[in-house]
Formats: sequence, structure tokens, C-alpha cells
Amino acid sequence: MALPLPPGLTPMEVAFFCEMEMITVVPRQRLESLELLGGPTPVLKPPQRANLPLWLALLLKRQRRANILPPPWLLPTSLERILRYETETSPNAFSPPPPHPYAVTARQAPTDTISPPFLPSSTDDAPPDCLPYHWLELGEILLEACSDDITDPGHVRTLLRDLREVRMAKMRASTKDFDAEGGGVNSLVGVGAMEVAEGRQFILGVMDGLRKLGASKEAARREQEAGGEGGDLSEDDEMEM
Amino acid sequence: MSYYDVDAILTDAQKVPCTFELDVPGLGFLDNNAGHTLREGTRVELPLWLSEMLAVSSGSTSKNLVTLGLPPALAPRVMNALKADPKSVDLRALAQHFYGLGARILELFDEKEICEVLMQTFRTRAAEIADHANNAGVGSRGGAAVVGDGVEFLRGLDEDERALFRAAHDSAKAMKVWMGEMKKN
Repeated sequence: MALPLPPGLTPMEVAFFCEMEMITVVPRQRLESLELLGGPTPVLKPPQRANLPLWLALLLKRQRRANILPPPWLLPTSLERILRYETETSPNAFSPPPPHPYAVTARQAPTDTISPPFLPSSTDDAPPDCLPYHWLELGEILLEACSDDITDPGHVRTLLRDLREVRMAKMRASTKDFDAEGGGVNSLVGVGAMEVAEGRQFILGVMDGLRKLGASKEAARREQEAGGEGGDLSEDDEMEM
Repeated sequence: MSYYDVDAILTDAQKVPCTFELDVPGLGFLDNNAGHTLREGTRVELPLWLSEMLAVSSGSTSKNLVTLGLPPALAPRVMNALKADPKSVDLRALAQHFYGLGARILELFDEKEICEVLMQTFRTRAAEIADHANNAGVGSRGGAAVVGDGVEFLRGLDEDERALFRAAHDSAKAMKVWMGEMKKN
């Protein structure tokens, strides 16, 4: 193995991707539009709010040229609501991700496949009751960089830790329902990037172990199906892909 | 399974009881009886790779050279214990590569029940392993340090489960390091 890192992303890499998320700032100084690779930034005119990539917002914050507006879901009240949803309303499933801003319909549209960080999910108009894809890392970074802009940072930090614990426990418990036919983590909808990065190694290990143990059963099942009907098998294969 | 995979080699080196169906001249040393003929019906413990070859290959006669038996690690007694409570069985004492042995045996025998029991055991224990891995502290040399009642359970993990524990612990540790770093800056 050439690269000593395990497959998947390290927490640092995930946090790096998270810095592409758009976030709302309140500038304290004028700044002309910057020509970035991803397009020009809006002209900053205090006290007009503007959406900037997180890395730029952090830079301006560090230079005291702007204040960061925490996204609505990072308020203690929203986090408490989400935590209550996770523990009481649906103790087995993850809380749903924010709705897709462009309605996905039966007719295919180019906006169907856009995903974070290209969808703004942490600006000040984001839905307050859903955890976006980069919730954990964004919350941690904001708590670190601009705890003075967040209401009640100590409480928010505790709530983020609680949410993480609850959701990781769900993720671990879901391995109990794995089977060789691909059951198990029946739905990863709503799971954040950092949680995927953290759980990947373990879940891959469990699935691999079960696949090895169930290999003989699987082979027998395939033989049986091949004997029965050819068409079924190919369809099944496609499903498992 | 790679040719150079040490775990695969060690898995195949585990012993399986075999019963010889024929007299074999000169093989007596297998039964601590060097220089003599190995009698028909003798039970000897042979490594898996050897016994598999002997059991599968058939000579000029239709009779097989040896008959394989289930290794003691997969005996019905063990299966019952696993069915009763997967977490209380010391798999490591049964076989170092318990699941590897199980998977190899399932290739040779058509044992639906063993397959089910093994998979259920693996699932249940995996969840337990994940909990321990997340709660384990970091030892003085960077490894995992477990305190409390988990020690007994973790000592009974087989090699595959140990790898799983390591994977889960490493990712949890990486996460903690990242969150700790955030605090420092």
C-alpha cells in the first residue's frame, strides 16, 4: 500500500471541503468584488449582508473586517429541537436533511444532481430545523473561529456533542441489522460528511466480514436462481450495484 | 484473499480433524508412529490447506482419501453457546482466526445453520466492539487503552474482530484529534 492513510477522507480533509460552504457575513469594511475561481464575490458594503465562502469569511473574521452570522440551525433552540427529534420522535432514524431548494420532479433537470457545498445550506436563510451535510464540521469551525458571534456558544457546543453522540450510536447500532444481501444501514439520508468519514472504516469492516461469512450462502442462492430464471438474476445484480 | 496475506495463511494453517479412509504406507509419522503405515480409520488433525486437498482430490478409486470433520471450534456445543449469548464466548480461545476458519469450512460443508449463527454472532459482537472502540482511551504508546469490564470481552476477540476494533478506534481517535486541534488554535 503506497498511501499510509485508510480509504476515505480524514477529518481534516472533510473540514477542508466544508470551507467551500457559503455563509452569511455582516461586513464591517467595504471590499470590492474579488475574482475567484468559483466566480466573483459580492461587493461588501457595511451593513449589508453578503454570502461568502466559509474560508473567506473566516479570513475576514480573523482580520476583524466582518462578523459571521451563524446559520439558523446553529441556534440553541433549533439544535434542541433537532436533538429532541433524534431522541424522541424518531429514535431509530436520522433527522431529515434540508429539502432540496430546487424541487426534484419526474422530469430530469440539471439542478437535480447539485449537492453541498454547491447548494447553500448554511446561509442565514437556510431552513432552521434540518442539519445540513456539513453540520458537525461547520459547527465546530464556527464555534472555534467566531464564538462571539454565536448565541450561547457553550450550550451550542454541548448540543453539538450530544447530537454527534446520539447519531453515532444510531450508526453503530445499525450494523446489527446488516445481512449479506445488502440490508442494514437502510438509509444514510441525513448523515453528515464527518459522520460518514468517521463510520466508514468500521462499517466497511463489518460488511466485508459478513460478505465473507455469507459467501457460500450467496453462491448457493445464485446457483438456485440461475437454475430458475436467467432474467431475474441480471436484474438482481443491477439492484445490488 | 491474497497469496501473501499473512492472515489467510494463518487461517489455512488451523487444524481440522480428518479420518483416513485408506491405509497409507509411510505416513505413520502423522500419528506419532514414524516409519509405519497409517491405518484406515485413523483420526488425525491436519492443517486446513492439507486436509482440503486430501479430501477433495480423489485417486484412481472412487473412494476419497480422507473424510473431513468439523473442527472443534465449530462444534454444535459452541454453536449453541453462540446462539445463547454471542458476547460471552471467548472466540480467541477457540480459534485465532475464528471467522476465517468458519468461512473456509462453510465453503466445504453445506451448513446453513452454522452460517446463520456465525453471521448473527458477527453482527452482535460488531456492535459491541464499536461501543468499546469508541469508549476506549488512548494508551501511552498511542494504542487503545481499555478500562473496566470491557477487557474480558476484548481479550476474546478473534483476529478479524481485532482489526475491526482497530479500525473503529482509529477513526474515533482521528475525530478526537481533529476536534482537539480545533480547540488549540
